Amino acid sequence: MRITQYLTSKLKNFSNLPKEYIERSKKQVYWKTPTERGYLPSTVERKRYRYTTNRSWTGQFRQQNMPGTMRRKVFVEPVEDWSFFRGDRIEVLVGKDKGKQGIVTQVIPERNWVIVEGINWHYRRVGAENEFPGIIIKSEAPLHVTKDIRLVDPSDLQGTEFEWRFTEEGEKVRVSTRSGRIIPIPETNNQTHDYKTPNAYIEREKDTPAAVVGEITFQPKLSTFEMDIMEEMGIKEERTPAKSYWY
Amino acid sequence: MSSTLIKCFNVAKTVSVVAFKSLLTTPRSQLPAWSQAAVGSLQKCGVHTTAPVRHERLMEFFDDPKHWSENEVKVGRAWRPDELRIKSNKELHQLWYILLKERNMLLTMEHECDDKMEIFPNPERIDKVKISMENLETVVRERNRAYHLLETGETGERPQKQMHNAFGLRCTYKSCEHVLPPFMNTKWIKSRNLGYGGRAVHKFLLKYREKLYNVKRKAKNRSRNEVMMILRRNPHFDIELLKRKYSDVDIEKLRRTDKARGHFVPKVDG
Amino acid sequence: MSTRWYPIYQRGNPQLRVFLPNFWMKLVRPTEEQPANVVTFAVSTEMTKHDVKNYLEKIYKLPVVTVRTRIALGETKRDITYGYVTKKDDVKYAYVTMPKTEAFTFPDIFVNKAEQQEKEEKSLDESKAGFRKFLDRNKKRPGTPGWYSI
Repeated sequence: MRITQYLTSKLKNFSNLPKEYIERSKKQVYWKTPTERGYLPSTVERKRYRYTTNRSWTGQFRQQNMPGTMRRKVFVEPVEDWSFFRGDRIEVLVGKDKGKQGIVTQVIPERNWVIVEGINWHYRRVGAENEFPGIIIKSEAPLHVTKDIRLVDPSDLQGTEFEWRFTEEGEKVRVSTRSGRIIPIPETNNQTHDYKTPNAYIEREKDTPAAVVGEITFQPKLSTFEMDIMEEMGIKEERTPAKSYWY
Repeated sequence: MSSTLIKCFNVAKTVSVVAFKSLLTTPRSQLPAWSQAAVGSLQKCGVHTTAPVRHERLMEFFDDPKHWSENEVKVGRAWRPDELRIKSNKELHQLWYILLKERNMLLTMEHECDDKMEIFPNPERIDKVKISMENLETVVRERNRAYHLLETGETGERPQKQMHNAFGLRCTYKSCEHVLPPFMNTKWIKSRNLGYGGRAVHKFLLKYREKLYNVKRKAKNRSRNEVMMILRRNPHFDIELLKRKYSDVDIEKLRRTDKARGHFVPKVDG
Repeated sequence: MSTRWYPIYQRGNPQLRVFLPNFWMKLVRPTEEQPANVVTFAVSTEMTKHDVKNYLEKIYKLPVVTVRTRIALGETKRDITYGYVTKKDDVKYAYVTMPKTEAFTFPDIFVNKAEQQEKEEKSLDESKAGFRKFLDRNKKRPGTPGWYSI
């Protein structure tokens, strides 16, 4: 999925991290022109990353994209409207769990992947050391959204094809082509790492209370910011600046 | 439309904004100033002690001690421009200093964590403060711009214009403030290079344009390859979607190429 | 205009004031032993001694007696994989002397963290040892459930 699509899609960012941080933590700059006059700003940096189930701000991602490692390009086919969200019930079309239904727990739009709870899993040995054999955990492998899964119609709980249509109010919804029923986007999609629902957010120590944020204290006034602050602080300035020339 | 608006409103109402309960609720004048009492209490600590001495003011450079051993410090989100637009200049001024102090605190903690080979919890806090500061500055700039437009009819911004530099490339020339008018400023007159020309520049421009053309050509080839690979992997891919995405590629022609054909036996009906 | 643009000064002009300073300052652990009333800061390179003094006095309400500054040359390093030679940015250090009555020692931030880590490691080792014991005991009777023997 491309960035413009990502912005217009209804998919909510679960990590709730600012875009700037995600970009900054991913970046690998090998060389940069000095920040001095006479240099055109340019960088030598990594252009292509291998996206996997490890998110781009984690240490595992960095481990998989170590400098000097190049992996074969993955062709990610374009998806016009992202249609699979966290909390969606889907049916699996391929693999050992073919025909089973499950709930989407994680979405990885960089690879057109979803991870479904209890579907397409395998055992993985974790934490093995020379003496300790390690423990075995279950982990789910991702499924491809265009080939491996389809949505489940909420009316009869059977897999169905769907399309995006507009309601009378102008809202964009997914509609099952078989029964014509709207498949609503689950509330789980709006959950983030920080809160389950916006109303349930616990205010932290350094957060500004919502009431204070919404308070309107701006009064239109014929003065610049600087003039207003000077007046506020009681700074009087009688002198007028001498004429200067801009060229 | 209305439902989304309500959703936005709810979010704004409930999700809090990082950094600064103390300042908006208590005016800056009420913040404790450096007082004699504090000096007195510190004197009692003694100067030449080996035990760590915590200086009240300097501890503002550190996070709350209860966060020191934590692996995650949760905070809200950054201030948005729309939230800052409804705040008075005074409050924005106060908020700036809170954000400044917060940034100094975060930078100090990050530096110390790097020094001690520890993980700095939630480094995105720095970005959140930075975003808030940038938004605040744009709001202040907007207000000043409006004032200047009303009073003088000009934006009051630093004047700049598009022109050609000595290499014949388009660039923005940002004006500077001078005491002397241009015709009297002989140093400036001597230093400026107006216009461009000569065989060397001509040669350079020719090669530069070739480079630009190559960049364009490679981008086109890349998208052509991309389409071929997509078609090879998914022979039944939605052609209309591809046409919309890659408008510069002749997809009908590409479909017949060898590279776009996958390694599979075509199905024969009957 | 951008609040970052600093106008030129001519004699008789109004005093130049910075309303939204963008300088950063971080308190760093001193590398050498210093008197108790001296604090080390890493500051924006464009800050002068007067800037440092005013910054601390006005924003942090700290009493400052003198400020000494130096600019440390940024480290030059060769990239291991690609061989590019890069130089880190120069850093300005400010050594701020407070009155003799003041004292500050840089706090030890990760005291509790080390303890916590030790505790976690210990419990992990214990659980690993327990698992090892369980495996050893059941070596000769594969397939028996865990609850079979005490």
